[in-house]
Amino acid sequence: MKHIARLIHIAMPVSIVLAFCYAPTAEVHGEAGRLLFFHVPLAWTATIGFLVAGALSIAFLLRGRDSHEITARFSAEIGLFFTVLATASGSIWSKLSWGSFWNWDPRQTSIIILMLIYLAYFSLNASLKGNEGRGKITSAYLIIAMASLPFLIAVFPRVFGSLHPHSGSLVADVPTRLTLIASLAAFTLLYLQILSIRQRIHHFEFSRQADDQKLQ
Amino acid sequence: MRKILRLIRKDLLVEFRERRSLFIVLSFAISTTLSSAIASAGTSLGAWERAILLWIIILFAGIIGLAHSFTREEERGTSLFLRLSSPPAFVFFSKLIFNICFFAVLEAVIVSAFVFFHEGDVPSPFIFITIILGGGFALSSGATVLSAIAAKSAMRGALFAVISFPVLLPVLIAAIRATALCFERHDISAASEMIFFLAFSGALISISYLIFPHIWNNE
Repeated sequence: MKHIARLIHIAMPVSIVLAFCYAPTAEVHGEAGRLLFFHVPLAWTATIGFLVAGALSIAFLLRGRDSHEITARFSAEIGLFFTVLATASGSIWSKLSWGSFWNWDPRQTSIIILMLIYLAYFSLNASLKGNEGRGKITSAYLIIAMASLPFLIAVFPRVFGSLHPHSGSLVADVPTRLTLIASLAAFTLLYLQILSIRQRIHHFEFSRQADDQKLQ
Repeated sequence: MRKILRLIRKDLLVEFRERRSLFIVLSFAISTTLSSAIASAGTSLGAWERAILLWIIILFAGIIGLAHSFTREEERGTSLFLRLSSPPAFVFFSKLIFNICFFAVLEAVIVSAFVFFHEGDVPSPFIFITIILGGGFALSSGATVLSAIAAKSAMRGALFAVISFPVLLPVLIAAIRATALCFERHDISAASEMIFFLAFSGALISISYLIFPHIWNNE
């Protein structure tokens, strides 16, 4: 994973150049439409972070390997970071297109709920400090939160009408589609790179603590 | 089944022997309903405003009420005896049934007080009651496992609200919408809402049943 993630050093500059130089100006949104190449991948990466955290939590409960629980926590951290960025970039786009920062659009609302779930997960994690069963309890919470998400997606469109553009209407032409795919790939690599750095930091901290204990 | 009933009986006996928590929750429910009624006295609230107010009161009173069933076991140290004497599945189902019954009693008190003090018709009372009970069933079935999670942590009360709010939000939104329609019209069908509540409860109960042993036996 570490070596694949290093491709980020090529993929990210390429996707930025494509977004500003190769992709044509959007018909409806104008130059502001280029936000598509950053906002959509941010939301995509946040979703990946959340799904990976959920999948690793299930694996942890089934197999009991500590590394799964730690990686799930790191993935959720990155997911929360990208969720905040996706919400911020989305609200800027919303202001430019619809005239206000917040519109109670189903997707806007879903992402804010996702943020609430992450915040609850980290609050739970903090309050269980020192508890031996922390990993199991936080993993269980993440699984329950994931189970309630499909219901949220089902109920929102009934209550709130969507202003979000259909995905097909924005990426009708080939250059825009290619640029979006490149951005999605670059941001996925960014997620892997941050995850691998986070794991290495944890590994160093862990080995330093072990060294300190040996010295004492 | 007999063991589950025995555990429910134990919870009911403890609840009625003390009455303290039941009284506190019911007092909270009545005082918030009255406060909202006094604050809005003289103004006629719309159907949506009334529905939002009613479900916010139900949710917060419910959160206070549902938290204590597992918290009590942890605070008194009786969870260890419960863990030794009964399998996790029996404990989970007994607490779930107890919480559903407790929530129904709480809803009966809140809804009666709310309809009495907040002026306004309920054109479809039967569907209204069905939705209130269905929403309560879904909320309590989702909150049971979350209360078991919160009971294991520090700052239990506040944390229970933080962790349960995002999970229970789909039920809250669906229930507010359906209740507002009940306040507005009489020719509505509760079928789709009831299917939603049952599907939510079914999914959450099955997942809770699968992961409850990991939460309960984690020491």
